Amino acid sequence: MPDHVPTEFREQEVTVDPEEPFTVARSEDGRWYTVTGLCPTCRAATVFRVAYGVLGPPKRLWRRDRSEPEPLTGCIPVYCACGYPHPERPPESPDSGCGAFWDVPVPPPVHGAAS
Amino acid sequence: MTDLARKRFAQLGQQLQYDQLGAVRRQAEGWRNGLTGLTGLVGVVFVLKGRESVAGMPGAWRWTTALLLVLAFVLLLSGALGAVRAAHGPLGRQTWLSGDRLLAAVLDEVVRTQAALIRARRLSVAGLCAIVAAIAVSWLVPVDDPANSREGGPYVLVTTAGGVRCGELVMSDATAVTIKPAKGGEYRSIPIGTVRSVTPTRRC
Repeated sequence: MPDHVPTEFREQEVTVDPEEPFTVARSEDGRWYTVTGLCPTCRAATVFRVAYGVLGPPKRLWRRDRSEPEPLTGCIPVYCACGYPHPERPPESPDSGCGAFWDVPVPPPVHGAAS
Repeated sequence: MTDLARKRFAQLGQQLQYDQLGAVRRQAEGWRNGLTGLTGLVGVVFVLKGRESVAGMPGAWRWTTALLLVLAFVLLLSGALGAVRAAHGPLGRQTWLSGDRLLAAVLDEVVRTQAALIRARRLSVAGLCAIVAAIAVSWLVPVDDPANSREGGPYVLVTTAGGVRCGELVMSDATAVTIKPAKGGEYRSIPIGTVRSVTPTRRC
């Protein structure tokens, strides 16, 4: 694993190196995704979790299986949450990383299994 | 070009993951208060505008009103308990407080809270409809009121040495009791000396 690079804090959108793709794993019950990979800016391992939340579409009236939501499609906006201190990071910032953020495409769901 | 709004919403989403149970509870509290207010409002209308008693209503409608009120009570009680459960959570449920278990438990509880809230809302609306139906029945069904009946009344049973006569009381003085027979016909005057008792009755 590459060493962490203590870059200056900067909120910027970056692109993911195709050579170092992120992995997107869906939980067994399908209710959250875990995105893992190396931050393109500070090179630290980042784990980002996206859960199914309260502001979703209304549930179908007579649907019995309410626990597994529809698969997520498109991209997940991910930001660095490496946990390392970065220079110039404002103390009031909710960030815990270098400030970079990027899009990670969600792979299409595999029928019969969580993707 | 950097679009910071996308990052802010991503941060908001992360924050909401931790706070969603609280958000759902607050939402449920608002709904609970609203449903309670609605129930109280209809109750006030019922007290102010409804009939005070079902006495005098025909038997079938009296039972219908009573059943509607019992049904409304059960529905509203279930709805109120469901709303309280949604706003404050069930009692006695426990889980391991590890990160993954807690996240799964929070997501489960969010789903259960929303289901309880939806159920409470349906029950409350059904209960309110039952109350309104009971009010409507009590308003619209004619009351069996002998004093205002076109057929006349009140009737009396006049017991004499020769038998019992029934009819609408027309007059009574020191000499005779005069009744109009319920089935029509001439007024019948019964000498007071032969009268043993005069008893009111609803019908002959």
